[in-house]
Amino acid sequence: MTSPAPAPRDATASGGAPASAPVRAPIGEFVFAGVCAALGVYAIVGAGFIRVPPGSASVLGPRVFPYAVGLLLVAASVAVIVQVARGHRGVPDDGEDIDPDAPTDWLTVAKLVACFLTQLLLIEWAGWPFAVMVLFGGAAWSLGAKRWWAALLIGLGLGLTTQLVFGAWLGLSLPAGPLLDWIPIFHG
Amino acid sequence: MDSLNALLEGFATALQPQYLLYALFGVFIGTAVGVLPGIGPAMTVALLLPLTYSLDPTGALIVFAGIYYGGMYGGSTTSILLNTPGESSSIVTALEGNRMAKAGRGAAALATAAIGSFVAGTAATLALTFLAPGIAKLAVQLGPADYFALIVVAFLTVGALLGSSVPRGLVSLGLGLLLGLVGTEVLSGQQRYTFGIASLADGIDVVLIAVGLFALGETLYVASRLRHGAVRVIPVTRGWRNWMTRRDWRRSWRPWLRGTAIGFPIGTIPAGGADVATFLSYATERKLARGNARAEFGRGAIEGVAGPEAANNAAAAGVLVPLLTLGLPTTATAAIIISAFQSYGIRPGPMLFENQSGLVWALIASLYIGNVMLLVLNLPLVGMWVKVLRIPRPYLYAGILAFAGLGAYALHFNVFDTLILLAIGLVGFLMRRYGYPVAPMVVGGILGPMAEEQLRKAMAISQGDLSYLVHSPFAIIAYSTLAVIIVLGVWLKRRQARLEATAPEPITASLPAWEEADR
Repeated sequence: MTSPAPAPRDATASGGAPASAPVRAPIGEFVFAGVCAALGVYAIVGAGFIRVPPGSASVLGPRVFPYAVGLLLVAASVAVIVQVARGHRGVPDDGEDIDPDAPTDWLTVAKLVACFLTQLLLIEWAGWPFAVMVLFGGAAWSLGAKRWWAALLIGLGLGLTTQLVFGAWLGLSLPAGPLLDWIPIFHG
Repeated sequence: MDSLNALLEGFATALQPQYLLYALFGVFIGTAVGVLPGIGPAMTVALLLPLTYSLDPTGALIVFAGIYYGGMYGGSTTSILLNTPGESSSIVTALEGNRMAKAGRGAAALATAAIGSFVAGTAATLALTFLAPGIAKLAVQLGPADYFALIVVAFLTVGALLGSSVPRGLVSLGLGLLLGLVGTEVLSGQQRYTFGIASLADGIDVVLIAVGLFALGETLYVASRLRHGAVRVIPVTRGWRNWMTRRDWRRSWRPWLRGTAIGFPIGTIPAGGADVATFLSYATERKLARGNARAEFGRGAIEGVAGPEAANNAAAAGVLVPLLTLGLPTTATAAIIISAFQSYGIRPGPMLFENQSGLVWALIASLYIGNVMLLVLNLPLVGMWVKVLRIPRPYLYAGILAFAGLGAYALHFNVFDTLILLAIGLVGFLMRRYGYPVAPMVVGGILGPMAEEQLRKAMAISQGDLSYLVHSPFAIIAYSTLAVIIVLGVWLKRRQARLEATAPEPITASLPAWEEADR
């Protein structure tokens, strides 16, 4: 196996790496920095709506710190936008399981988010063990597990184990769900 | 010898069978999770927070100390044994350790890492034992202005020094501060940024920020660029005879000590944590190497594993000094540990050694005990850790998601927290994708409310006179140190970048054997 030559790195303290060969407009970077700047603006505007109780003794009211945070966020985001515009792109994180050459796979991310969203309904409807089964099975399948039924079974096992360890043994009140509620051990 | 007595009492507590079991449990789980690829110490601690929801404070903190140290040990096993071309330069141990393993000397690399971690961890814990009470005594006299100065130092060093660029670090810090603002403000009782949602009135729990950014955000990011195919683990020869030869010992002990001397002080100052220390140690060893060893650097020099591993663990102990004495987290992991303290209503800081001295000393004693356990656990159990390394990635990351969900839901047994976790996780994913460091965000989320509180206290004392913030010698020293740290830190980063650029390429062509044979 041959390792491809690593892209030249220029992670100096003042900027990210310069854009590498296939130059594409870094729309995502601009959008993210723009959203951060917008959050900063929102913090500043929102700070003006914080009620200052009349006759409060403190010199510094509840608005001052939010103003400062908003300003910091706006200033830093604008600085990032300027950097990106000058060609200092962000350096995506490295990791042991990350393929440095792979493009971003948005579909998998969307699938995982969808799996995670099922928790909102399932934890209270179907109970913790089944919510974990769906989350684990769905996530493993999205990530490329070969046998989906095995993933679901492992997920169910994990859900029941955590239910027993955390719910019954450590006393966290995880809902067992209508299917299991009649078994006394799951009550903790 | 006040602290010696206190320490002995701490041992008396920590050696009780139930606490010994907690410590063993902590180091075991910490190592196992730390070995898992892609899970750093911060994520380990964040994921395992729910474990402590129902333990007593002493037991919980002992478990945590074990997880903290165990995660460090486990990480070195991963970087030595996992073959990930293209990425190895980001973890210093992998620089030499991975190449040693490929050359068939994996056992020696693992052994020098483990023993070096033990030596450094023990020495640094000793330093912590004797340094911390003194610092705490000094810290009691600090006023709100001094605290504010310290927090500003932590903000700017963490924000400016972590990650590849200063503005990106500051954006991350700002996002954390913004999350910290949400909720009911303490002094005037006003709600801020809550949109009238009742669940938000209590603020966003730090656990959600930590788990969201580290567990969920990291998983989404890895999923977006997952390396498919079989997991390649470099096989290790079994048997203790292979661990370290006499020559290895001779070449290792000096780097261990040097690494400790470099790591501990860097850990105690807010300079970005262990990363800087390991790089500095690696550069030092490379410079000091003579003869054969010099030629071996880049192809698997044992000094390049021994030094940085020692520095890493010494820095981990050093981080506990400002954490316990000042209540200041200087790394993301420390920030999460603070939130564990806070969930028991315990506030780390100068009063900790007086109000909770039994707890603190039991915690420190358990650090010694944990170190011994880790040494015993790590070397003989390498075979088991290798199995952990082989967990198929889809199941691994699905499991992380499940535990992240547990951590969020078990906070208040409310799915609203799950939703917030998902939102923060998405932010964490985008931040990684676009090269923003996430650690400043966690630190901002925890220290932001403290900073505001101290600032407002200071302003109340001075009746609004801003010059009060720099009236005390301590605050002046803190701000000037800040300037020095930033200059020094920027210099160190440039050095580190240069080192990465010059690091020789791994030699993969000559090592076909391990790819097939895996016993």
